[in-house]
Amino acid sequence: MSRSYDLSGRRTVRRRRASRPTGRQRFTRRSFVAAGFLVSILTGVALYFLPALQVALRDTGQVNTSLGGSAQLKPVSASENLSATAPFTLLLLGSDSDSKFKGDYLTQSMILTRVDPETRHVTMLSIPRDLWVRLCTGDNGKIDQAFLHGGAQCAIQTVEQDLRVHIDYYAWIGLQGLVSVLNELGGVNVIANNPVMDDYYPADLSGGDPFDDERILVLPGAQHMSGTLALEYVRARHDDAYGDFARSQRQQQILIALRAKTKHVSLADIPTLATSLGSDFQTDMSIGQVSELLPIAGSVPLASITQVVLLPPYTSNEYVGGQDALMPNWQLIRPEVAKYFPAV
Amino acid sequence: MIVSGLLANRALAVLQTHTTAAVLINTTRPQVRLPGTIYVSQEGAIYAITGSKVHELALPSGGDWTQPRVLADGSLLVIRRFDAYSDLYHVTSTGRVLSRLTSDDESTSNETLPLDHWILWPAVGADGTDVYFATDAPKPAPNQSYEVDFSLWSAPLGAPFVIGDTGVAGGTRWSVPDTYTGGDIEPVPLPGGGVLYSSYTNTGKGTVVTVLGLQTGPNSPMESLTSQQQDCGAPAVAPDGVTVAMVCTNSGQTADLDIATLEGNALGPLRVLAANCLCNAPSWSPSGDNLLYMNAADPDGNFGLWYIANAGGAHPSATRRVSDASVDLDATSAAAWTGR
Repeated sequence: MSRSYDLSGRRTVRRRRASRPTGRQRFTRRSFVAAGFLVSILTGVALYFLPALQVALRDTGQVNTSLGGSAQLKPVSASENLSATAPFTLLLLGSDSDSKFKGDYLTQSMILTRVDPETRHVTMLSIPRDLWVRLCTGDNGKIDQAFLHGGAQCAIQTVEQDLRVHIDYYAWIGLQGLVSVLNELGGVNVIANNPVMDDYYPADLSGGDPFDDERILVLPGAQHMSGTLALEYVRARHDDAYGDFARSQRQQQILIALRAKTKHVSLADIPTLATSLGSDFQTDMSIGQVSELLPIAGSVPLASITQVVLLPPYTSNEYVGGQDALMPNWQLIRPEVAKYFPAV
Repeated sequence: MIVSGLLANRALAVLQTHTTAAVLINTTRPQVRLPGTIYVSQEGAIYAITGSKVHELALPSGGDWTQPRVLADGSLLVIRRFDAYSDLYHVTSTGRVLSRLTSDDESTSNETLPLDHWILWPAVGADGTDVYFATDAPKPAPNQSYEVDFSLWSAPLGAPFVIGDTGVAGGTRWSVPDTYTGGDIEPVPLPGGGVLYSSYTNTGKGTVVTVLGLQTGPNSPMESLTSQQQDCGAPAVAPDGVTVAMVCTNSGQTADLDIATLEGNALGPLRVLAANCLCNAPSWSPSGDNLLYMNAADPDGNFGLWYIANAGGAHPSATRRVSDASVDLDATSAAAWTGR
């Protein structure tokens, strides 16, 4: 358009007759417009996924703020990309990430998980936190110390060398992260196996002295659990005939209950979940891989989940290195593990 | 173009899965109109369902009110649960406190948490003079042991009673629990004087399971009415004194709502009323014909109040949800149904 003035001085707007564009010009112009819209839409999408991208960037080892840079996390390579059908092994790690530890985290929970997307079969093997093993450092110690010494990479290396399995991915979550994500998902429905009681449960998430105790009680039977109640259920161990083993079973139970939630989680939920997890979550899986996993997790039938806990005779109590530990019976453990998890 | 970017951003936000906040039951109408009054617990409050109306009892604020039981005169026994302890209250049908029967918070004086006590699952004996319950007393002195398990007690209903380190003052101890299992819970006094309950047991094989236990008197030997494999608990006995509803999980992650007949000190064959459910806390109608229970319709759904007519008969009705689907009730609190 061009501006001109008529005799009365009023401004008129006259449409200049444009020359007809050639086909090539039309194509170029449309391409620019389309590209503009595309860039605009992609920017909107990118901004939406920014929280998740930040987590992903941090968790692929490029930036690592949550562990003081101690962890050298396994980057995702193209060859390791999750296919919709290829089975894979995932090491799930959980830590008391409260203020008692100041970033030096042990792993209270280690669950080796094999997922076969095609057969919709999942195997979960809980590795006792007190299992006495050769760590990635070459020293002997409880397996929960591996993460403390070298983050996820050391935990993976320790499990791979001791259990003789290959691990494709890992995911680590802290206490507050677990509570947040469970709350974000609206809690879980669980059948609590028995009354879970603990008069010496750590009061480390309530904002007071993290070394204080509190009493907790989770009633038995089917019920809805909020994030906090679910955490109490999977973490309490003092008044339990099977201590850490029972806790491991309860942890697996919550994971199984969570699969019902994944049916309702879409790619669009990932930024909110990433934000709620904050620095309490790390993984070497990409957002795309996680989003591929969600529908698979939601479609795994209960009957297709195998749960393994290394009770005696696979392990035995022993006092070693000045502490109570669980001694592994590798002659029993390794053949059992090999049934479900491919070797290194 | 900016608008298109904004639209793309917001469109994704719209696609987010929003977990639906459960609504309070008194803002909804029951889907089934049942006679009498039914008391249920939701988010720490007690609600009365009368016909098509629901109202909240005017109980004092603080703590979570749960596990209501109706007495013969229409008043209620209710548990008031706090973070570290719970107490038993006697209240009117509108929620006015008539008496506080226990004072289980010892920690206010010395802040030693293990001195606090739980009291849960109150039940009134057949003659109405005694209340039966589960409590975590006695337990070892603080810092002596981690053990804290429920055992069954009874106490006269007329006056407050003290739960302390050595047990219930003036009360009668009924059971000694298997340690580090959770213990014995959910007592149901029988017309003949015995008590039916859920007893948690260490199998010695890496699991803790529950069986229905029967005792004919305080500290008498427990008869196991169900097997460890069946893993049955949450007993509810109909007014006939012999028809027993229960929840059995077979140590799995789903449950069956079962019914059986008590024949002396044994239980007849189990009949499944609802299979593969997330059911809990059955309770009977005053007539003994109809059964209420808590259930989530799907693994991700709200826990609602469900109903089976003629549950003890040869032809029980199909299961029906009483509460609105948007309501999420306390599934660990059995409904209390009175003809009033």
